[in-house]
Amino acid sequence: METPTKFNLFEYYKLFSQQDIQISYKGPIDERILSVIGNYIEVILGKNPKASKKIFSIFIELAQNVSFYSAEFNELTDGKEIGVGTLVVGEFGNYYTFVTGNVVRNEDIIPVIEKCEIINSLDRDQLREYKRNQRRLPPGVKGGGNIGLIQVALTSCNPLDFEVTPINENYSFFSIAAKVDKE
Amino acid sequence: MEDLKIQGSHQNFFIPTVNFNAKTGICEISGESFLEDTVEFYRPLIEWLTEYTTELKRPIAFIIKLTYFNTSTSRCILDILNLLKEYEDEGGEVLVNWHYDENDADMEEDIEDYMIDTGLKINLIPF
Repeated sequence: METPTKFNLFEYYKLFSQQDIQISYKGPIDERILSVIGNYIEVILGKNPKASKKIFSIFIELAQNVSFYSAEFNELTDGKEIGVGTLVVGEFGNYYTFVTGNVVRNEDIIPVIEKCEIINSLDRDQLREYKRNQRRLPPGVKGGGNIGLIQVALTSCNPLDFEVTPINENYSFFSIAAKVDKE
Repeated sequence: MEDLKIQGSHQNFFIPTVNFNAKTGICEISGESFLEDTVEFYRPLIEWLTEYTTELKRPIAFIIKLTYFNTSTSRCILDILNLLKEYEDEGGEVLVNWHYDENDADMEEDIEDYMIDTGLKINLIPF
């Protein structure tokens, strides 16, 4: 059997070491991963309970979005399909950040971008009103939806930092970051 | 009418502790709420409250001590509070106390939003 091409882990390590990345993960995202990383967030950011609680809450909403809406799947031996994505928790000078990235179908990305743009155009009171209005509507197909991103923006107290990188005519890479100030 | 009791846990998912007492009308939900199937979990709570408020029709004290809940849960809490508001409008005696960490400004805002949303008076009790 031929040895597979070696993946240069050191390049990857260097890239992440340039910035203060506390946690990074790429792979299938289900409740087991949420549980492990969720626990680590509490441990690593525990010295700042307020920020830790915010990052945890943001993490749950964004990571669930990836597991529900990623266009990339891993099929497990039990037949269950799990959304694949990337999760990063970083610490910078005066803030923490939580970032998710995943592949999306191009036709699915427009409503997400529109939602993010609406959210970023609103002040806090308007955002709260938007959340109340959306919460009254029936939930999305996956049971959640609608208010997850609004809640992320409210919890973060910062604009959503999102980016779409086209991959080909069918898919793009969507990443979204939420900052939490250390105060 | 039977009491409704659920022992909470904090594992992969977070199950809140539920203690609904049919005799005293004191109904408490505490802990954290992040569930695999949120609607499925809250359905029996809604059913219990519906039975209590339509058949027993006695006073109810609803005590919330949740320290964390996700957005799916926040919809189910809204359903419960709407049910209580409806009961109050029909003449039922309703008291809602929400205990929260005084450093948790997000939670305080959430409770305010529920009051605006439902028109129900919620007593904020910081700890």
